[in-house]
Amino acid sequence: MSTISVTFAGPSPRRMRAKVTTAVRALAALIVSLIFFAPIYWMIMTAFKTGNEAFTAAPSLFAWPSIENFRLVFTQSNFGLALSTSLLVTTTSTILCLILGASIAYPLARVKMRGQKHVAFWILSLRIIPPIATIIPLFLMLRTFGLTGSIWSLVVVYTYMNLPLTVWLLRGFFADLPKEIEEASLVDGASRFRTFVSITLPLTAPGFIATGLLCFIFAWNEFLFANILTGAATHTAPVGLTEYVTPVSVEWNKIMAAGTLVVLPVWIGALSVQRYLVRGLTMGAVK
Amino acid sequence: MTPTTTIRPRGGESEAHPRPSGWAAARRKFGPLLPMAPGMLFLFVMSIYPTFYSLFISLFRWNLADPSRARFGGLHNYVLLLTDVTFWNAVLVTFIFVGAAVSMELVLGLGIALLFFHRFPGDRFLRAVLILPMVVAPVVVGLLSRYMLNVQFGVVNFLTENLGLGRIDFLGDPAWALGTLIVIDIWQWTPFMFLIMLAALQGVPEDIIEAAKVDGARSGRIFFDHILPLIRYPVAVAVALRMIDAFRVYDIIYMTTRGGPIDVTQTLSWQIYDAGFKSLDIGYAAAYSWLMLIIVVVAVTLTLKFLLPDGDAK
Repeated sequence: MSTISVTFAGPSPRRMRAKVTTAVRALAALIVSLIFFAPIYWMIMTAFKTGNEAFTAAPSLFAWPSIENFRLVFTQSNFGLALSTSLLVTTTSTILCLILGASIAYPLARVKMRGQKHVAFWILSLRIIPPIATIIPLFLMLRTFGLTGSIWSLVVVYTYMNLPLTVWLLRGFFADLPKEIEEASLVDGASRFRTFVSITLPLTAPGFIATGLLCFIFAWNEFLFANILTGAATHTAPVGLTEYVTPVSVEWNKIMAAGTLVVLPVWIGALSVQRYLVRGLTMGAVK
Repeated sequence: MTPTTTIRPRGGESEAHPRPSGWAAARRKFGPLLPMAPGMLFLFVMSIYPTFYSLFISLFRWNLADPSRARFGGLHNYVLLLTDVTFWNAVLVTFIFVGAAVSMELVLGLGIALLFFHRFPGDRFLRAVLILPMVVAPVVVGLLSRYMLNVQFGVVNFLTENLGLGRIDFLGDPAWALGTLIVIDIWQWTPFMFLIMLAALQGVPEDIIEAAKVDGARSGRIFFDHILPLIRYPVAVAVALRMIDAFRVYDIIYMTTRGGPIDVTQTLSWQIYDAGFKSLDIGYAAAYSWLMLIIVVVAVTLTLKFLLPDGDAK
């Protein structure tokens, strides 16, 4: 085949055709991406518009960057508080999740035992239960402990919600680490725990970071439990957003500014774990 | 259910070695599993307890607004539900939503993944852009839809009017509302399918892809006959996960239609929320939850069986 192509003087027709198909494909990909990006663009643009601009019948595509809406979001409402509540709840539950998750996942990946698969699949199967189906008993249970209305109810629920994902992801990351690396340390007389802390943990740190960021994203975006389990003083950011929508007025430019603030940290997180996103979203089933 | 119960010492082992004291043996056997205990206990309490407690509640005529009058009703709530036309309407609405959204997301996701399969300048950047919708909080998606689809000042209606289609009340017109929710879900979750399909395609052996490329005329057939079977497992995983999530749809309904207009967007999860937290009829809502759980498990299991007929999961 190579001998044939040498005989052509100019670019071969096949190569030309390949170039054209690449260009067509790139153009199609660009159009698709623009369609998916358009609503996001609209949200960000509206966040910079004045009230009147947000309501015109002939909407404008651009707005002068002005941080007025963002300033009002923080000064006129409790949204700043809601954001910090979100941050506290989400971070705490993520840390708890990583600790509990690792302590389940590590023995699952390393200790030989019968029925290990059953345990792992039982944990996975918890994900199929619709949250709405457990919320009534959970609500009654948390009420008995006096936790409803406090941020701790959300910490507990989010830790539970993300734990199956955490276990499955960390189990995969632990399994990817060759046993021999740990065995060398164990032979040297280090305890299991010390080996885990000084050898396993540093080597699986990227996995921990990726898993933690995914837990963070899912807890940060959660609305159903937050809406039902929090009180006025403990609203998370997604619940805080709903307060801008009143029967009297809907201030879309401020809502979009607040929405942008909710979405921004998640975008940064998601893009920084892009490499692990597929693995994370499929609970490790697809790498 | 605890892991420790599944471990049995192999027979005959105790005769080869003199049996160490009970404590030491137990420690050697279960010690490495001990770290699992707190997490497993937590999972156990948070899953088993609510599940069975809701089964228990579901047998009562129990309204939180009037707790003194809770009384045993047997299967009353279940009978009430199964003979209620609004329940079957919710089943239908939910299946249309899940079926239409997930299948479209799969087709579109696979199509976009094929576009991105071969490298082109700027593909990494576009891929990053495509990830963005997936991680936008559903609450924000709901609000944004409401704003963009508004009849009076929404940008989408500005476009439809200029295209001569007139103004359409996408979320308020019974003919449009469910379809609009499906499109919103497709917008948010096609990127999820795209990412997984792209990863799946990248795992297909190079020579099969080459064969499809060289023989352009038959590339479509090669795709369906050879490539698709190879990515069957990732497809099944992605579809199952997406179905599980689509059945939960609540946030965007809360932000947009709230089950209306009339009952065209009354999904199972919305009705449970309605019964439990608006009517405070928790016995009824608990029975509803159980029926929903059964429906989700059956639907996801059958779909997996259909996509992986040989049962070659794992």
